[in-house]
Amino acid sequence: MKFFNLLKKELGELITPQTIISLVAISAMLMLMGNLMKSTIKEAVENEYSITLSDRDDTEFTHKLAKALEASGAKLKTVDTTGDDYSAILKEADAEALVIIPEGFTEKLENGERPEIISVAGMKSAAAMSNVMNSNSGAIGLISDCISATFAEKAGLTTEQVELLQLPVDVTEQTVVKDKNAPVSTSSVMSSLMMKNMILPIIVFILIMFTSNMLMSAISNEKIDKTLETLLSAPVSRTAILGAKMLAAAIIALLNAVVYMFGFSSFMTGATDSVTEEMGTQLVTQYISVDEALERLGLTLGVTDYILIGAQLFLTIMICLSVSLMLGALVSDSKQSQTMMMPMMIMAMVPYLISMMADINTLPTAIKLIVYAIPFTHTFSAVNNLMFGNYTIFVGGLIYQFIVFAICMFFALRLFNSDKILTASLNFGQKSKFKKRADNE
Amino acid sequence: MEKVLEVKELSKQYTKVLAADKVSFDIEKGEIFALIGPNGAGKTTTIRMISTLLKPTSGDAVVAGNSIVRDAAKVRECITYLPDEAGAYKNMTGKSYLRFMAGLFSTDIDTINRYVERAERICGLGDRLKDKIGTYSRGMIRKLLLARAVMTEPKLAILDEPTSGLDVLNAIEIRKMIKQLAAEEGMSFLLSSHNMLEIEFVSDRVGIISKGHLLVTGRADELKQRYSAQNLEEVFERVVNGNEIL
Repeated sequence: MKFFNLLKKELGELITPQTIISLVAISAMLMLMGNLMKSTIKEAVENEYSITLSDRDDTEFTHKLAKALEASGAKLKTVDTTGDDYSAILKEADAEALVIIPEGFTEKLENGERPEIISVAGMKSAAAMSNVMNSNSGAIGLISDCISATFAEKAGLTTEQVELLQLPVDVTEQTVVKDKNAPVSTSSVMSSLMMKNMILPIIVFILIMFTSNMLMSAISNEKIDKTLETLLSAPVSRTAILGAKMLAAAIIALLNAVVYMFGFSSFMTGATDSVTEEMGTQLVTQYISVDEALERLGLTLGVTDYILIGAQLFLTIMICLSVSLMLGALVSDSKQSQTMMMPMMIMAMVPYLISMMADINTLPTAIKLIVYAIPFTHTFSAVNNLMFGNYTIFVGGLIYQFIVFAICMFFALRLFNSDKILTASLNFGQKSKFKKRADNE
Repeated sequence: MEKVLEVKELSKQYTKVLAADKVSFDIEKGEIFALIGPNGAGKTTTIRMISTLLKPTSGDAVVAGNSIVRDAAKVRECITYLPDEAGAYKNMTGKSYLRFMAGLFSTDIDTINRYVERAERICGLGDRLKDKIGTYSRGMIRKLLLARAVMTEPKLAILDEPTSGLDVLNAIEIRKMIKQLAAEEGMSFLLSSHNMLEIEFVSDRVGIISKGHLLVTGRADELKQRYSAQNLEEVFERVVNGNEIL
């Protein structure tokens, strides 16, 4: 009963209109971004198949070329242009990109010389997605194919022979994971896994930051607002006070995780669905779908795996809570409580970035040991370890995390049940207000 | 007379400083005892030990038959502690704060309601109790906290600098409240203050503490007579100076 009273108070402190508004706003923003990604990619894909052409040569051959482009399925728009002020030309043509066939193109071709085409593309920003739609690569590829075909025809080659020339070798890609293999390219597997595994680390990262921040401020605010002494002198055990704070922080963190998970998954599906929808048929191997390949390679997660990941997430939060308890207890003013977030941030950031960029298992031993000593590393590499069957590393990580949690919790409880909760602080070279007062008296 | 608090040679050694050195005194039922001394004399350390917030290095204190060393949990049931410059949860309303604190002292709804009603009556904040504490003035917060400290009818209420930071009128009101509760309900108080004049008015007995040592205890008029002083300030000056000479 007293515990629920404490828990209710802690939840009340954590759930404020501001936190609810920010939570709703962030999830809404993620969903909006998902839709935006979807439309951007759709537009980009459509643009790749729409070609703006300016035929300055205006010969029978170039007309044939235009027809061939149209026949290939591209949306063709022809414009008349003059001069070499390409900015004005692009503006006049009202296009993102434009292909110009200059005068003398056919003549060069007939003389057996390599003709020239001018590709004009507008650039609006350095963002990766922003310049996809102004690429002329699709158009140039089609024009090159047409010209190759013309040359080949002139040389008396059959259509089959032309096709052979354009694609001289068929590559059957096989990807092997341990003792399993599937007829799929490694890059397709990689890109699919990257998309699928992107959400979890982000959620873990947010969860670590959120939980730590909440619990740390829940404790440091009691010290800063001078409510802690009153609370500790009430007939309720210090362990119950701690337990209520930890549980409240964990509940709110979980709530956040769920909201972010929905937000991010709708953001990711917005992005990935449109890609697979539009380009899926080409990206995916002609033999089997990527999902099927992942299954065959054993790169999918089963129920047991999800339970294991859940257990690891739980341990991660518990470590966060116990470390934050100690850090929060050392804070004596609001500036310090910001600084105290730094160790948690670094502990979360380092493995997060490393796990995104490299396989920790392949790092040099010394660095690997340092990275693995950070307890959160095991959470970030959990999915990878389970997928690729590195069970020993996974279970080792789980045991290590449990030990870290037990040690941290032991010290956190000791700190709370001792005088240190009122007198301890981390003031480098400067005495805390609490200690100063205690020392003086 | 029934003793509510017996402090027996209570000492606290911090890493470098001996903050309290064998402090001993008693408080009887319905008595208001004040520890007076300058900042850094050891008042708060002594009070924190009696409130079970700090563990004594040696010695003991018995609150209503319970030792602060062995039965800290039971001691907390008989006392309330109002720290110096204490705050309250700004996001809570005054009433929900009182209800939360009452819920830490009892699990029985009727008792909790009785505590809250009593606090509402004592603090005199009326409808403002429905507002968030963040909107209260310092005086209002202090009144709310004082009402909180006495609402559970503790055997011993420990108040560290009860009127610090308050204007004259609020301070007078709080002093009256303390005297009334002691006289009418037999509640015992352990106060600390460096405001000697306030202490002279409110307390039955005082203890003068300096550099961790409790130098002398007695009734204000008794001490004034003993040290041929006009007021407690003079008593304090003579006691501290005399002790330094010794």
